[in-house]
Amino acid sequence: MNPEARRRLDTVLGALLAAAMLLALYMALLQAPRERTMGDLQRIFYFHVPAGITGLIAFAVNFFASLAYLIKKDRKWDGLALAAAEIGVVFLAIVLVTGPIWAKPVWLVWWTWSPRLTSALVLWLLYVAYLLVRNYVADPDRKAVAAAVFGVVAFVDAPIVWFSIRWWRDIHPSPMLESGALAPEMRPALWVCIGAFMLLFVYLMRRRVSLETARRDVEELHSRADLGQ
Amino acid sequence: MLGKIWSVLHKDLLIELRTKDSLNAMLFFGIVVLVVFNFALESVRETIRAAVPGVLWVSFAFSGTLGLNRMFASEKENSCLQGLLMLPVDRGIIYLGKTLAVTVFMLITEVVIFVFCLVFFNLEVWREIPYLAMVFVIGTLGFAAVGTLLAAVSVNTRMREVLLPLLLFPVVLPILVNAVEATHIILNSVEYGALRLPLTIMSVFTIVFGTLSYLLFDFVLED
Amino acid sequence: MESERDIMGPNPMSYLFAAYAAVWIILAAYLFSIHARKKKLRREIERLKRRLDPGT
Repeated sequence: MNPEARRRLDTVLGALLAAAMLLALYMALLQAPRERTMGDLQRIFYFHVPAGITGLIAFAVNFFASLAYLIKKDRKWDGLALAAAEIGVVFLAIVLVTGPIWAKPVWLVWWTWSPRLTSALVLWLLYVAYLLVRNYVADPDRKAVAAAVFGVVAFVDAPIVWFSIRWWRDIHPSPMLESGALAPEMRPALWVCIGAFMLLFVYLMRRRVSLETARRDVEELHSRADLGQ
Repeated sequence: MLGKIWSVLHKDLLIELRTKDSLNAMLFFGIVVLVVFNFALESVRETIRAAVPGVLWVSFAFSGTLGLNRMFASEKENSCLQGLLMLPVDRGIIYLGKTLAVTVFMLITEVVIFVFCLVFFNLEVWREIPYLAMVFVIGTLGFAAVGTLLAAVSVNTRMREVLLPLLLFPVVLPILVNAVEATHIILNSVEYGALRLPLTIMSVFTIVFGTLSYLLFDFVLED
Repeated sequence: MESERDIMGPNPMSYLFAAYAAVWIILAAYLFSIHARKKKLRREIERLKRRLDPGT
């Protein structure tokens, strides 16, 4: 795709994203019905949950990109994996910040070791560790391999972590349990918000990957400049 | 193939038994952690026995990390890693040998730490020993299965010893959670049927990560 | 006159606001970080290009 077409696509995407986020905001704050016990405060849910879902999708992308890199050794997969991990960390950060803000007025504590929040925390730690691995390896090829290996390990670990924490919480129940079923009237708002976050994910991925491509260009120019001297 | 695994394992065991460097460090550190916990939990003296499973496994995890670091650090220092790689041996075999070696060292350390724990916290556990042994072995194997892979990843980086715990602890959480629960079930004579789930999860973890690490080890050691 | 604020506790709506504000701030900060890094890289690319091809 030539740069001109790419820029046009980015503009269209940006405009679509802005519209989607506005719609999502409307649905979450105004269209969705008021929850019976928690009131308007429950509306945090409409951004908290989609952020979590998108974060998980980001990590899945990281998993497949890491595998692809290990098999094909093409650095563009490494760039994709890095972008996905970074964005996943951002989305999970949203989950970890909005969770306590929701919990404090409802359950009177900032942090509940609930399965969802705890798993989100561990997952967040896993992918921050992924980013740290990249920081601590100098050689670009070694860095990509090390990160890819850890990315695969982290993603395989995730379901086992979730399952272990869920089971542990079953044995040590806490008085605050997360609500299960969702009232059908709330579903349209949730779906719109999930859709908006998907669009956001695509948009962020495009920008982050293009940043990574630029960085690889700089690297290549550097090596050419050093050889020339 | 088993013969090759044995030779890798045998070499590490011999080296260690001769110098006992790693073992001493692991043992000492594990016991120090026990003592630190004793002071840290002073304010809950009456219920400190309930904390024993957690304290035990944290101690195991810390000393195990020490052992894992040493496993590759000494090779790196003496450039033995290159020599090892030049052998016509499948990288996966090296992985299995090293994992077993780490498991053996950790188990030795764990038994000693456990004995100290019995003394420090005044426990009586004669009938429970076979069950405890099962939990210790499976838990340690799982820990070592992932630990060996991540130690190999860490040793080639700038941060080396610092990176391994950063990577290992989040990943190994399921093993720790389930091992602590299983130990708790055994030590506090909860109904033993409850052991089935944690042991299953731990075994699944060990098998999954043992296989995954075996497959990924090739990529990590490319120098 | 007495406002409700004196009698009730913190307004629950302030938590709702805080949550949505947090979402925007985190996203905006990340977008800004990408933008800043991109700008730095573009300057670096220009500098390197000039070094490699002094005629430009």
